[in-house]
Amino acid sequence: MHYFYLAQFDIEAQAGPKALFEIFGIPVNDTTVIGYAITIGLIIFARIVTSNLQVIPGRLQSAVEILLEAIVNTTEGMMSGGGRKLLPFIGTIALFIGISNIIGILPLVKNPTADLNMTLAFGLSVFVFSNAYAIKVKGFWPYLKGFAEPMIFILPINILGELAKPISHSFRLFGNVFGGSVLIALAAYFVPGILPVPLMAWFDIFIGLVQALIFTMLAIAYISIASE
Amino acid sequence: MVEFSPELLETIIRAAALIGAGLALIAGIGPGIGQGFAAGKAVESVARQPEARGLITTTMLVGQAVSESTGIYAFVFALILLFFIIL
Repeated sequence: MHYFYLAQFDIEAQAGPKALFEIFGIPVNDTTVIGYAITIGLIIFARIVTSNLQVIPGRLQSAVEILLEAIVNTTEGMMSGGGRKLLPFIGTIALFIGISNIIGILPLVKNPTADLNMTLAFGLSVFVFSNAYAIKVKGFWPYLKGFAEPMIFILPINILGELAKPISHSFRLFGNVFGGSVLIALAAYFVPGILPVPLMAWFDIFIGLVQALIFTMLAIAYISIASE
Repeated sequence: MVEFSPELLETIIRAAALIGAGLALIAGIGPGIGQGFAAGKAVESVARQPEARGLITTTMLVGQAVSESTGIYAFVFALILLFFIIL
């Protein structure tokens, strides 16, 4: 239709998962494929780095050690005693989302985090992890009683606030990455060649890394608040 | 009771979706003011304590990115109205 000018450009390529092929009747999305590719790449990278550990680290080993120490120190600063304990969970989130956010700079690769299914999965896993960790640290009845603090009337508000956490957590990441990719697509439609390059640098590298940091820090904050 | 034709109803829905998308972006005012406020306070802090520049910049960026989320929600809903209801 001529009067819906914007709708003509290929927004479908940006929005939502796109089924690439089917395995036993189950459609496999591009999000899943790129997510698994990132996972396998991270596993191979970890194997390469840890295959030849030295007491006096080389260049690659020191870089990875600096990254891991940064994650441990950030966690330790927000929640004392949790740095090494939470490293598998927090480090997975930080590495995977960081790489997912900047991988969109490659041509023909969509950010896996520009799909609400992916970010909602991460938000829900942080939600489940924080509550399970709180039950493990505090015990079941003190955990339930924590919802009725400081008064019993606050109970529904506390429960609603707890349920709103994964939604705001995942929508923040999704909105930033998806909005960036839509703006890049719009710029590539109107000013092809010139404008998209600095926009890609801004949205995919800077905003992507900042949002990965925010997501990780909020995950630590949710876990530390729940287990207090 | 007035009967509308389906074409007219569809046009009304599309027009309402476009107006709603425009109205949703009013929410951009809030994060704009908030981020500017945070940046101004960061400039004040750097002027007072130039050696803490790196820490102040990191804290400012994190705070701005968190306070940006309301604007991002509005943007997402505007995009949903624009592209998913119209198409």
